[in-house]
Amino acid sequence: MKGFLSMVWRELKLLRKEKTIMFAILIQMFIASFSSIILLGIMVYYDPGSIGQNATASINVGVLGDKNSQFITYLQERRHHVYNFDDADKAEAAFKAGKLDAIVYIPPEEKGAVNMKLVLPDMDAQATLVLMLLKEPMERYENYLRDKQGVIVRYQDIKGKPFSTYEFLYTIIIPILMFFPAFIAGSMVIDSISEEIENKTLDTLLSAPVSINWVTGAKIIASVVVGALQCVLWVVLLGFNGFTIQNVGMILLLSMTVTGIVAMIALMVSLVFRDRERSQFIYSLVILVMFTMAYFVSPSPFALVARLATGDPFVGALNLIVYLAALVALAAVTPVITRKLTTS
Amino acid sequence: MRLRARFGGKMVAAVVILLAAAAIVSFLVYQQGMVLAKDFYMIGVSSNAPRLDDQRFRVIQVDQSVAGNALRARKIDVYLTGQTIFYRDDDRSQYATGAVKTYLKTGELQRVAGEYPLNQAFPLRVEVNYLKAPAKAIGTASVVTVADIMGSAHGAGTSGGQPGALQSDSTDSQGQSLPAGQTITDESDASVRDQLAGLSSLRSMPEFKAEFASNKEVIVPSLMSPPIPLAQVLLAFAYILPIFFISIFFTSGFIEEKLGRKINILLSTPVTPMQIIIGKMLPYLGYSLLIVIGITLVLRGNLLMALAMFVPVILFIFAIYLGVALQYRTFKDQTFFSLLAVTCITGYLVFPAMFVGINDLSYVSPLTLAVQMYRGIDITPFQYMLSTVPMLLVFVLALTVGSRVFHEEYLLSFKPIQIKVRDAIYFAMDKHHLAVSAAIFSLLFIPVVFMIELGIITMAFNLPKVLALAVVIFLCVIIEEIFKSLTVAVGIEHGLIKKWHQVVLLAVVSAAFFFIGEKLLLFMSLKVISESIFTAAVFASNALWLPLAVHSACTLVVCLTTYRLGMKSYPLALLGGSLLHGIYNMYLIGAFR
Repeated sequence: MKGFLSMVWRELKLLRKEKTIMFAILIQMFIASFSSIILLGIMVYYDPGSIGQNATASINVGVLGDKNSQFITYLQERRHHVYNFDDADKAEAAFKAGKLDAIVYIPPEEKGAVNMKLVLPDMDAQATLVLMLLKEPMERYENYLRDKQGVIVRYQDIKGKPFSTYEFLYTIIIPILMFFPAFIAGSMVIDSISEEIENKTLDTLLSAPVSINWVTGAKIIASVVVGALQCVLWVVLLGFNGFTIQNVGMILLLSMTVTGIVAMIALMVSLVFRDRERSQFIYSLVILVMFTMAYFVSPSPFALVARLATGDPFVGALNLIVYLAALVALAAVTPVITRKLTTS
Repeated sequence: MRLRARFGGKMVAAVVILLAAAAIVSFLVYQQGMVLAKDFYMIGVSSNAPRLDDQRFRVIQVDQSVAGNALRARKIDVYLTGQTIFYRDDDRSQYATGAVKTYLKTGELQRVAGEYPLNQAFPLRVEVNYLKAPAKAIGTASVVTVADIMGSAHGAGTSGGQPGALQSDSTDSQGQSLPAGQTITDESDASVRDQLAGLSSLRSMPEFKAEFASNKEVIVPSLMSPPIPLAQVLLAFAYILPIFFISIFFTSGFIEEKLGRKINILLSTPVTPMQIIIGKMLPYLGYSLLIVIGITLVLRGNLLMALAMFVPVILFIFAIYLGVALQYRTFKDQTFFSLLAVTCITGYLVFPAMFVGINDLSYVSPLTLAVQMYRGIDITPFQYMLSTVPMLLVFVLALTVGSRVFHEEYLLSFKPIQIKVRDAIYFAMDKHHLAVSAAIFSLLFIPVVFMIELGIITMAFNLPKVLALAVVIFLCVIIEEIFKSLTVAVGIEHGLIKKWHQVVLLAVVSAAFFFIGEKLLLFMSLKVISESIFTAAVFASNALWLPLAVHSACTLVVCLTTYRLGMKSYPLALLGGSLLHGIYNMYLIGAFR
């Protein structure tokens, strides 16, 4: 056992010299240090509506027309600055001088539809932002108008929080972060094995008194350790950015289990195809299929991480058993297959 | 040929099986509807609650009498009845409430649309108008005025543009101008119906919209959905990714030949290194071109424009990968360097493009142009040049250096990267005309520096403004000093420069040409990038002689220190020169005033 541990240690030391993994961790640190800002940037793509929800910015709105409109109250409640104008030309001058972000013409309330007019700056992004910031007051005004005509839209006055950032973070970002180390680990195993094959050191190892499974086992354990370290690093870094993750222990266990499974598959792929380039290619495909197939497991690994991380009381250690069982089963057959592949 | 050799026999079978499996699985997932957050929220519902047909929600019937307890015991995140939603005040419950509310809103709008006449269900219509923005309305006075816009709303009787037309108009809008008002309502009714149709397909993939709302478009607040820019960036990605793959094959082909020493045979033939490099590159360049053409045709873009944008990108990516191939001997090294290259290139191309329309810095990346092309926005020649010329120059630099270092001694030596880079410069130098070499290198380094600096600027947007400014100034200064003094330092290291007056001359030449080239680039880029404090800080200058003197002085400090103390002290020398340069730049932007 002591010999095995020293082999694991040797693999880890080799990895430390490996620039690739060090670089990956460096990128990871860099991304994590900005994660809250980057998240905001990505959110614009995931759900553009979140711009208006998350932005607390207030804008300057020039108002023409009905000065007693309920809409003005809604604008002010959203902390936008309202400036009344009697004269369209004066409003335009203020707009052109950059003092206004938008001009609204509010027609008097009447039966039927109200046709409001909105003037926005002729700039793609700015117009979008202004419109998103006006969305909430406009919707409130719309509901107010509906109310007046006896049309009731239910569930409107309920607060709740804008959920898209939350969902995005916990169901996409965190699962990706927790499983990405697994993907890297498999890739590392392939690199390491195919290098041994290329340099003919594997043959030397085969003739040595240690079993081949000790060698490959050490590689797999080393990759799992590195993967786990990466996950811990992520959790800590996300914590610095104010994103708390619950059930860290179970998530870590799940991540390590998956890393172990992936690393063993990578090992077999590299032993079958031997050359690095082909192994990596096949490995990527296998992983792609595997992770897509995992979607049909309920809860899927992604959903499981998401629900564990948010502290869902309905998932727990029991859900991990499936994956642990898979790991154990694979760990039982891998040595046999490895020996067969290396002796032939 | 190479591809076939690589992917023969067992490989083909495996690939086919795996691809088939991937296709089947994806199809099944697609049929189920891909929801990553399956059963993410626990929703308790009463018997009269509306149906929640969304995989994110795990719905359980809870009787009203025990619902409060279930909610408090965190068995459910929210409790939904026919009228309202009950929730706790912790985050999870609040987010769940938000999700349920948003989901229900769609259903409510559909219900309201079905039960009431359209002008009661959607009583507010907002006509969006665009007016030339404040800062940019310099030369072209806009013909349309606010009075016009407002006037046209009720514009039957009164002619637009008359001050006061608004008031009189709105007062009698119920009177004479009724027919006009009628047609407008009809028109906006039609657009409400259009937007309602979009509502029913809300949960499916968001539609690609080139613009948020076009001029004069009528929107309904509760039906309004913003555009998704992701589609465009994805489009751009569709181009870059395949090129990456091809260039990786190019690199590994190269390295394989290096390992197999086939290169030695090639080198002994009368073919020039430049011919070997281009010859090796051409087939892969061809594949990349085919891909760009194919993707453009599939996406129905403008083929000529796409080629004009992506050929520089292809050349740039190949230039970087040529560097990878020349520098490294083993596959492990290649993995590292390829990863580094992919990260840097992707960052450089994609990150700025995410800010299309938000910040002018996005024009650094040709992807921005591609996004604009698909949006149908015109591209100015300066925008085009700003994003492509640096890439082309990097390609020229890579080819020049590549062909000069293309001999056994360099290709097969095994040294750390910084020495390899220095060696490359040494081999590429013209040993008899050092001043000319210094000048040319300075000019060729500019795009490299420019790209690194723009990368730094883009990244620095993440930091608080004051800190970002300091980081940008000092990092950029260090980068500039490195590239200004590198040629001279390499000359000193290899004993090409022996006397101190040579050091002075070369340092001044190097700094001067760098400065001239930089000013040219600045002139070009100012046409595109406006009013960015960061660019001002990096390229700041008013008079021409003072900055030239400072540039030269800084380079002199670096070079002379290196000359006196040797290459080992180069980092120290660099720090000294950078400090001087940094203080000068701080002075320029008025940090000491």
